[in-house]
Amino acid sequence: MTAILSVERLTLRYIGLVALADLSVAFAPGAIHGLIGPNGAGKTTLINAISGLATASEGRILFEGRDIAGLAPHLIAALGIGRTFQNAEVFADHTTLDNAMVGFYRTMRRGFWHDVLGTPGKRAAEHEMRRRAEALLDRFSVAGYRDAVAADLPFGVLKRIDLARALAARPRVLLLDEPTSGMSANEAQATITVCRALAQEHGVTLIVVEHNMRVIMSLADTITVLHHGEKIAEGTPEDVQRDPVVIDTYLGRGAARA
Amino acid sequence: MFDRVGGIAGARGRVALLALLAALVGMPPLFDSYYHFLLSLMLINVIVAVGLNLLIGNAGQISLCHSSFMAIGAYATIYLSTKLGLNYWLAMPLGGVVAGAFGCILGLPAVRVRGFYLAVVTLGFLEIIQIVIEQTPGITGGVRGMSASRPELFGVKLRADLHFYYVILAVTAAALYCAHTLLHSPTGRAFNAIRVSESAAATLGIPVARTKLIAFIVAAFYAGIGGGLFATLVGFIDPLEFGVWTSIRHVVFIVVGGLGSIVGSAVGAAVLTALPEILRGFKEFSEFVYGGLLLVVLIVMPRGLVGLWPWWRARGRASPPARTAAVDKARAA
Repeated sequence: MTAILSVERLTLRYIGLVALADLSVAFAPGAIHGLIGPNGAGKTTLINAISGLATASEGRILFEGRDIAGLAPHLIAALGIGRTFQNAEVFADHTTLDNAMVGFYRTMRRGFWHDVLGTPGKRAAEHEMRRRAEALLDRFSVAGYRDAVAADLPFGVLKRIDLARALAARPRVLLLDEPTSGMSANEAQATITVCRALAQEHGVTLIVVEHNMRVIMSLADTITVLHHGEKIAEGTPEDVQRDPVVIDTYLGRGAARA
Repeated sequence: MFDRVGGIAGARGRVALLALLAALVGMPPLFDSYYHFLLSLMLINVIVAVGLNLLIGNAGQISLCHSSFMAIGAYATIYLSTKLGLNYWLAMPLGGVVAGAFGCILGLPAVRVRGFYLAVVTLGFLEIIQIVIEQTPGITGGVRGMSASRPELFGVKLRADLHFYYVILAVTAAALYCAHTLLHSPTGRAFNAIRVSESAAATLGIPVARTKLIAFIVAAFYAGIGGGLFATLVGFIDPLEFGVWTSIRHVVFIVVGGLGSIVGSAVGAAVLTALPEILRGFKEFSEFVYGGLLLVVLIVMPRGLVGLWPWWRARGRASPPARTAAVDKARAA
């Protein structure tokens, strides 16, 4: 199967630091890809590079055969690549509903004149956006916080708002940066289940950075292990768990026995 | 009654709005023309403040040259109607368009800078506009100013302030409506999104620079319309009218009223336009009292006059404000 998204020989240097070193990874469409590795391995940097928030020094990022390296973030989003943030990055002074509604900018906007004149078409779109936003929030079990301001909400809830907002934009590829951090084991499991279901319903390719090994091993179809900006292993969860290099650098001896 | 962007919401909000509109239509004939003039000034400042609040309060772009766009709208309206003989009802909206075009000219470089740097860029723009007005007497009358005349409507010259007041009222209503529908649309949500997090907004497909540019153009258009109406109301304009102090007053309107809130812009502009008239009784102390009141408002109400609203609604209730109650409810569920 040809990859929907691939990075080819990607290198990203910060001053005095190589965050990604000659990294090549291909992501198959419709699958769930795990991205793991110790802190500082370059996982978030890779997501930033793909979504355009960080600019690669060398290499290509191919999305459906087109090189998107160096494109502005909103253009990359417009091509159908969405993301969530490690720190959730929700709009702090917005309500939960408003946060989710922002996600529809790309798909539901009728245009400036509709927006400023309040045409019937704009009103209908507004109504539809609200309905869809509420449905999404409901899927992530945060509909009860609909009118609460994000700044007042616990981190685990913000992570789910971030997910709902990203999915509202109807991405083809969705990059999730530690989607379950700040959640209890039950919340994490429920959130992951919803993500997987929504991804399947809409044919979204998921690329997930995750530290929770139980979550990622049960969720992902393939896993890529990064260390110091390089790929040290990739394969199915089972392969990766048995890989001696991965056990040494990341998982530890305990995981091999488990 | 109000939603989070200071728009009208719910049945009570609509009733209150209709009552206010009825009062603004029905009451003025009962008063003398001094009040018609004052009310007109208040409404013009409401238009100007609503536009500025979209730029500063929603899109998060500081501007200290809002008075320049007012000037551009004012001069363009007079020039187009008196010197080029264009129909006033075409010239006045065109004045707004010209101001909007200048907003675009300012916005193109301004979207690249932030915060204090943007403030300085806008101050520079204000200086340039002042100088251009002074140095082109052929078009603007230079430092000697320019006089405007009232337009005709249905064959009647709107000489009486009361008549022109109704024109201003209609334009204000349209301006408020457009701001309301804009803030409840993807474009308006993009304004608020880029203010809070440009990177999060961009990854949702929002073109940050373009959105800022739209905010500059819309704000300038509002100021231009306000300027055109102002020139026609007062009958005479000169560059002094649109100096930096006027721009700062516009910022004070929205800060006192409530940043990012439509009703905040309206209340702030209306109250602060009327206040000096109310304070006339203090004679030489009036500016002192005006400044003192501003300080008190800003210290006691950091979110502006509209910040009083949640507090007023929650008064006498044991529970904390509504948003915390919503969180408790959701947690219990």
